[in-house]
Amino acid sequence: MKILLIEDEPDLRKAIKLFLHNEGYTIESADDFVKALEKINNYSYDCILVDVTLPKGNGLDIVKHLKACNSKAGIIVISAKNSLDDKIEGLDIGADDYLPKPFHLSELNARIKSLIRRRNFDGNKNIVLNEISINPENRSVSVNNEEVILTSKEYDLLLYFISNKNRVLSKANIAEHLVGDHADQIDNHDFIYTHLKNLRKKLIEKGCTDYVQTIYGIGYNFKIL
Amino acid sequence: MKLTTKTIIYYLLISLPLLLIAGLFSYYLISSELKDGTDEALFKEKINCEKQIQLFNQPKIIYLSLDSLSSIKPIVFTKNKFFYIDTLIYDKLEGEPLNLRILKSFYTTKNQSYLITLSKPTLEDDELMEGLYSAFALIISFLLIAFFVVNWFIAKILWKPFYTTLQQLNNYDLKNNAFTNFKNVSTKEFQQLNVALNKMTEKIYLDYAQQKQFTENASHEMQTPLAIIKIALDNLFQSPNLKEEELLILQNIESATNKLSQLNKALLLLTKIENNQFNTSQKINLNALITRLVNDYQLIYEAKNVSLSLVLNQEITIQLNPILAELLIGNLINNAYKHNMANGTIEIKLENNSFIISNSGNELSFNKNDLFKRFKKDDTSKDSLGLGLAIVKSITDNYNYTILYTDTNSQHVFTLKFN
Repeated sequence: MKILLIEDEPDLRKAIKLFLHNEGYTIESADDFVKALEKINNYSYDCILVDVTLPKGNGLDIVKHLKACNSKAGIIVISAKNSLDDKIEGLDIGADDYLPKPFHLSELNARIKSLIRRRNFDGNKNIVLNEISINPENRSVSVNNEEVILTSKEYDLLLYFISNKNRVLSKANIAEHLVGDHADQIDNHDFIYTHLKNLRKKLIEKGCTDYVQTIYGIGYNFKIL
Repeated sequence: MKLTTKTIIYYLLISLPLLLIAGLFSYYLISSELKDGTDEALFKEKINCEKQIQLFNQPKIIYLSLDSLSSIKPIVFTKNKFFYIDTLIYDKLEGEPLNLRILKSFYTTKNQSYLITLSKPTLEDDELMEGLYSAFALIISFLLIAFFVVNWFIAKILWKPFYTTLQQLNNYDLKNNAFTNFKNVSTKEFQQLNVALNKMTEKIYLDYAQQKQFTENASHEMQTPLAIIKIALDNLFQSPNLKEEELLILQNIESATNKLSQLNKALLLLTKIENNQFNTSQKINLNALITRLVNDYQLIYEAKNVSLSLVLNQEITIQLNPILAELLIGNLINNAYKHNMANGTIEIKLENNSFIISNSGNELSFNKNDLFKRFKKDDTSKDSLGLGLAIVKSITDNYNYTILYTDTNSQHVFTLKFN
């Protein structure tokens, strides 16, 4: 799985590279518009993460270029502008997803995984983790081949945990993922507790191991040994 | 009070005492002149009488007037002398007292003395006053009319540039107008005023534009460092050897960072709304929007167990940027949940072109006039940014909607009226 990261901020670039490398991706990076175009023209990638504001050009022009040459790569636009106009424009010209800065790495991780799943039509569509099997297409979950009926938020929560298994996820991080666009208006993250409690109960009822580990004061870790 | 009205009042305040003094002065002047005139006439008559007496062959009484007030009478010898007296007699003809000036003269000729009594009616004091009053009333009314005419004329012509400037200032809106050009005028003072105003508005606008730009740039520049902190924290959380205290410190850093990031986004949003950067709009069905947002927020605030009633009596469609529409309605719904009590209620109504949302909750701990101000929040909601309602207000101000807050029976009611 090969990813190109186009980001001019060195600290951010380094941190993302390290993280994606640890997640098992092959990751390359470019720090300006010209270098990015060079890489795109010479190599092919499964996924491209592109920042909107770049030295020597605009990230959205890279998206246009990729679309113009029928690139198969999945594109995630990253923007510090936090401008929903950028989001709309980015998605309009053919980007697959949009992530406003500042974001959690686990959120980026979940988006990349979801994007790759959507692009990977061949092969097994289901996500399988020990006794848990998820079908992202119709958002259904089964444990030991027995279907578990989850609410929409519980499903999102489980998928986020599985995408970021063995990572400590803070409550704020999980809350932001669940709330999505309204994240900026939420100042209390206690609501995730209710959803998590119900999710755990439903999974355990079907004989699933309780993988959710509570990290005191911080959040949770979906631990697969 | 209008400048012209004030001018007239000052003119009158000054001219009334002046006129009063002038009136008194005229009164004394006229009455003494009149007296002098009467005396002179009486004196001339006295001389005529004396001439006549010299022609007398023998002493006799002569009545010079029908009322026998003027007469020549022979008397016993007296030295020559004369004097004037004022007297009041009752006039039968007019049926009122009459002022008389009387000259009594003792005249001796050919060893016979005579008393010459001559009388002349004089103008009565009240008649004189009456005349003066009417004269002055006339003068004052002429003056008033003149004041009004002159002031109207001055206001129309002389003050015209001033009123034009005033009108321009009234219409000046920093958000919409870049510069206002106060035109050149021929009156020196007004020209100076316009030059000063041109300079001032230009400076204000430039400062304003610069500040807007600064807020936007500063918020924007802060996003990247915040992203770095967030990612660094994410990575730190994964470290296996962290002690509990260290985790708690990290958690503190994380929540502060999140708050900073939210604050930053909210301020950037406010700036953008005020700068009219959300200029694309589309038709938005409020009924659908409300239903969707209510579902979202219900899930978030599930633990509060708030009962919600939706009474959407009217189908309302507005023309607005979709992001702003979502913020406008979403912030009000979020507010109603956030400041609600456990097991509280929320009622949402769509009627009379209005979105009305009311919720149960504690009384405000501050003046309700400050409710829509930035960073104003209840003492109990420490985690709140205090910008949600400021964003709502900013949107309503920019798109000419009205938002009203009332509190009745511990119900907080927000009424958002679309025109």
